[in-house]
Amino acid sequence: MTDASDESDAADPDVTAGDPAETGSGPSGEGGRRGTVVVPVERTPTLRATVAHAVESAASGEFSAVHFVEIASWRDGDPESEERTAEAERILERVLAWAEADLADSDADETDVTIAVDLIGSDDYLFGPDDYVSVLVEYAEENDCDAVLLDPEYTPVGNTTLLQPLEFALSNTGLAVETAPVTRPTRRERLRSEATGVRFAAMFGLSLAFYFVLGDPLYWFDWVTGVASAAIVSITLSRISFDADPALPRTPLRLARGAIYVPVLLYEIVMANLVVARVILDPRLPIEPTMNRMRVIVGSGLPLMTLANSITLTPGTLTVRARDSDLYVHSLIPWARDGLFDGSLERWTRFVYYGRSSARLPTPRERDDCAVLQGPDATEDLPIAATDGGEDATAEPTPTDGAAGDAAEVTDG
Amino acid sequence: MIDAVETVRVGLIVVFVLLGLFFSFVSMVGVLRLPDVYSRAHTASQADTLGAGFGLAAVALTVGWEGAGFKSVLLLFFIFVTNPTAAHGIARAAFEEGIVPWTEGDERR
Repeated sequence: MTDASDESDAADPDVTAGDPAETGSGPSGEGGRRGTVVVPVERTPTLRATVAHAVESAASGEFSAVHFVEIASWRDGDPESEERTAEAERILERVLAWAEADLADSDADETDVTIAVDLIGSDDYLFGPDDYVSVLVEYAEENDCDAVLLDPEYTPVGNTTLLQPLEFALSNTGLAVETAPVTRPTRRERLRSEATGVRFAAMFGLSLAFYFVLGDPLYWFDWVTGVASAAIVSITLSRISFDADPALPRTPLRLARGAIYVPVLLYEIVMANLVVARVILDPRLPIEPTMNRMRVIVGSGLPLMTLANSITLTPGTLTVRARDSDLYVHSLIPWARDGLFDGSLERWTRFVYYGRSSARLPTPRERDDCAVLQGPDATEDLPIAATDGGEDATAEPTPTDGAAGDAAEVTDG
Repeated sequence: MIDAVETVRVGLIVVFVLLGLFFSFVSMVGVLRLPDVYSRAHTASQADTLGAGFGLAAVALTVGWEGAGFKSVLLLFFIFVTNPTAAHGIARAAFEEGIVPWTEGDERR
């Protein structure tokens, strides 16, 4: 996690460090400190109050413009992305209506404060808080914003209990961060209400069923221990294991389609195993390993994990990194690479999660969403060789020197 | 009739054990022969998927569908979930360390 944040920080500082100073001097030049604030929004219990607070501070002269942005966790073109975009736009519309009403009610001059709404980040999958922050910082720069106002209930990543909070990631940027002082249900209540929901029941049922598979459902003692263990598991893990409530038509359908997928995946695994076994046992060892990049359309979260794991399970292809919606996949032989770019696993993953109609999208090759990063067919540079490989090779002769030296070779050749 | 089923079962067990051994062997050869951490990760997961897969299938056939047989199927399921996660973890760590994948003409390491 820390590595990922370092990465985004490493990419950002030039931009973030320079810009706030610039924008800070701009508005303050014309009397008073009147900046622009950006408020990330999503559907929360405290959204209304946060909007009111943002408009109020703008009306009192603190800001000259308020930008409400919704950060998309999906990507345009995904299956179901249209519904989610429509939903986000409904929220933004409502926010705009609220904000304008609040502004009209306040005693400030209405023409003095600009209110804008926008939907951003829908061209990449976002994973951790640092991804959200980099999208937010980008927007802030484009629109000369110098402050962020956070809704206290804003948790865009959904199940971020294991990640560093958004506030922390934001504190590394040049933006001034403020949390809206609105009354809200306490944390404890929020946790409890989430944990007692459908997810809790699903997790409890699942772990109890698993316990009885291993134990004996007719023996009373197993009931006692089973219920106790299932309760512990569901209290601690139900918010992590499910990132959305199981829904009635969708979840069983996905499970059924998953059951169709398993034999297909097994067949692919056996075929790939045989091919790779032949290559390994060949005395000449005819391998041509390359790193590849593939931009996938499956939806973030669980579908992306399923695809990445399926790719790794198939010998000859290995998912090395999932960055935004790009999968960096290492392939051992050209046969495996071609199979990957033909996108059969990607298509099957879409089938499992969204049904047959979504499965029929063009393959990554047809979409031109794939690239070879190494070797004679390379069409793009390897990201690590381009960024830090060269410096390491010359600066410090570490034990990994051999690897870094090769980095230079790769970029040269 | 019973004898025939029994013969087929024992035959399948032997075939599965041999296949499991074969893929585990291939995996071992691969780890020794392949040049770098990424390509080794490919073949190391072979031992898990088909090596352990056929091994557990043989176990399931040996002990029958009751109890332990079912548990070995569950074991297989967990191996299939955890194995790619672990392989990805290793590869990702290597990638973030800046280790450039071996290509044709590089030295073995």
